[in-house]
Amino acid sequence: MAPVLPLVLPLQPRIRLAQGLWLLSWLLALAGGLALLCSGHLLAQLWQLGTFLAPSCPFAALPQVALAAGGVALGTGLVGAGASRASLDAAQYPPWRKVLGPLLVVGTAGGGGLLVLALVLALALPGSLDTGLEEGLGTALAHYKDTEVPGHCHAKRLLDELQLRHHCCGRHGYKDWFGIQWVSSRYLDPNDQDVLDRLQSNVEGLYLIDGVPFSCCNPHSPRPCLQSRLSEPHAHPLFDPRQPNLNLWAHGCHGVLLGHLQGLAGTLGGALAVTFLLQILALLGLRYLQTALEGLGGVIDREGETQGYLFPSGLKDMLKTAWRQGGVAHRPAPEEAPPEEAPPKGGLPEA
Amino acid sequence: MALLKVKFDQKKRVKLAQGLWLMNWLSVLAGIIIFSLGLFLKIELRKRSDVMNNSESHFVPNSLIGMGVLSCVFNSLAGKICYDALDPTKYAKWKPWLKPYLAVCVLFNIALLLVTLCCFLMRGSLESTLAHGLKNGMKYYRDTDTPGRCFMKKTIDMLQIEFKCCGNNGFRDWFEIQWISNRYLDFSSKEVKDRIKSNVDGRYLVDGVPFSCCNPSSPRPCIQYQLTNNSAHYSYDHQTEELNLWVNGCRAALLSYYSGLMNSTGAVTLLAWLFEVTITIGLRYLHTALEGVSNPEDPESESEGWLLEKSISETWKAFLESLKKLGKSNQVEAEGADAGQAPEAG
Repeated sequence: MAPVLPLVLPLQPRIRLAQGLWLLSWLLALAGGLALLCSGHLLAQLWQLGTFLAPSCPFAALPQVALAAGGVALGTGLVGAGASRASLDAAQYPPWRKVLGPLLVVGTAGGGGLLVLALVLALALPGSLDTGLEEGLGTALAHYKDTEVPGHCHAKRLLDELQLRHHCCGRHGYKDWFGIQWVSSRYLDPNDQDVLDRLQSNVEGLYLIDGVPFSCCNPHSPRPCLQSRLSEPHAHPLFDPRQPNLNLWAHGCHGVLLGHLQGLAGTLGGALAVTFLLQILALLGLRYLQTALEGLGGVIDREGETQGYLFPSGLKDMLKTAWRQGGVAHRPAPEEAPPEEAPPKGGLPEA
Repeated sequence: MALLKVKFDQKKRVKLAQGLWLMNWLSVLAGIIIFSLGLFLKIELRKRSDVMNNSESHFVPNSLIGMGVLSCVFNSLAGKICYDALDPTKYAKWKPWLKPYLAVCVLFNIALLLVTLCCFLMRGSLESTLAHGLKNGMKYYRDTDTPGRCFMKKTIDMLQIEFKCCGNNGFRDWFEIQWISNRYLDFSSKEVKDRIKSNVDGRYLVDGVPFSCCNPSSPRPCIQYQLTNNSAHYSYDHQTEELNLWVNGCRAALLSYYSGLMNSTGAVTLLAWLFEVTITIGLRYLHTALEGVSNPEDPESESEGWLLEKSISETWKAFLESLKKLGKSNQVEAEGADAGQAPEAG
């Protein structure tokens, strides 16, 4: 029963390991905290932009999983720092002995699993943003005029605030506004000939105009904002088509929001990758420290050499031992069972 | 006859020194907070200096920054003194400096109180600066071709969008100035010519506002032009329409923003000042308690701490006496010097 990946640890390297582990654990806690902050920020942004993402878009799962993963990493880091600090002091170590075992299990299974899941989501989900935003923005634009319809009465205000804050206009450009009716029918004069002409000019009876709402206006333009009759080149005097058009915002909201959210997801993915790396290193170090100190019987001041290892025996031996243990438990008379000493952490699941 | 005497034994002295050490480091933190608040206030004032005619007074943020730095320095020094106070050998080297240091601390506390008061009083000067600055800003709104003023339109538009306000006192301020540049007016049109002839200065005045005055919460698309003409828009009554444009004036909006900022800064500084006063009093007690240790060989002995050795009136009299003596000693020295020179000359 040869231990897996053994490492001989005399006193000095043990102390070095504990000190290095203390530093690593604090770095892990920092990285976990950073991941927590990033996912919190992303969650806040998604809550604000909730109306413009289709409800079927699964993107919101990413910051939630990342939040949990960051929390577990933070906890692992803090407890690991405490344990490695205690392992340098003979009086403080005994209570931490019981903590190290469960910590390694939770850290590996829980934390590692969550981090892997979060990383996979960070790579896969931003692709679904495209369709989600397309649908969400389309719905918002269609309901812009429904300021009196319960359930959609906030669409106008939210879309105006979005265009003002993110400096964008329409879905892919300002011409999107030409294809929908964004003026509420309540404010259309039924006796006006122009209105009647426009209503009759299309199949669905929509009041379509070549104008945009005020929120598309660009304050950098040197002239007061031109909002109406944008397709008629001679409607506005002294309009110089050769000058760069600063009148309205040039970008569509789809592109702007996509870039914004994908950027945030990318940052979050980076923070999660760093946390994952640090967590693996910290857990490996803690395992070696734990097995080395167990070899001394939990009494630390001794100068002796011990061996630290990952697993007490190879995979096959571990499974055999676990099977035998299961067999012992099913035997009817417990006192007949041979005094089998199960290896201390031999039953640990594979990381 | 000492003022507010308190008896101290060794344990109490040690506790006082330790408590003061902790309070001093907390006070360093408070000093850092005051420094950052002053810096933040300065940045906010610089950001909007365009609409304040670049003439706003930076006295309050500058003094907050100075006070923050001074507080950090004094309190870390006091922390070191309190730490050393537990060790008689180390304390001996600080002994001669403590009295002048305490005097400096008292002056610093008075200055901090004055700065706190200024925080609350700055509102008045800001109001007049804002009124003038916004008026000029709106006047230069149309000068997008004039170098040095071409950014004013963008500044005013972004200001009205961000602070949800319109004009100086209200949207009607825009009716009284020409905010459309002459470059974009078609002078061959009859309507333009009529408007320009209709007033003495030959300005193109409209009853319209820029787009940045529009309120997104309005249920109907924004009405920007012909605001006073009910018949120009379907189902529109300008007397009762409330949601179309922002109702607040930008002067009131900016003033309330800066007032809120300065009130919270003033509150934090007041708390820091109370903290500092407590620390100064504690340090004085520690100083007098350590001075009063009756047997210098035995650090365990009891001693008394007080704020002032005699009562307030007696201390004031003694202070005046020492000032007079200082003046007299100067006179005596001068006479002595004259007398010394006279025999030499003679």
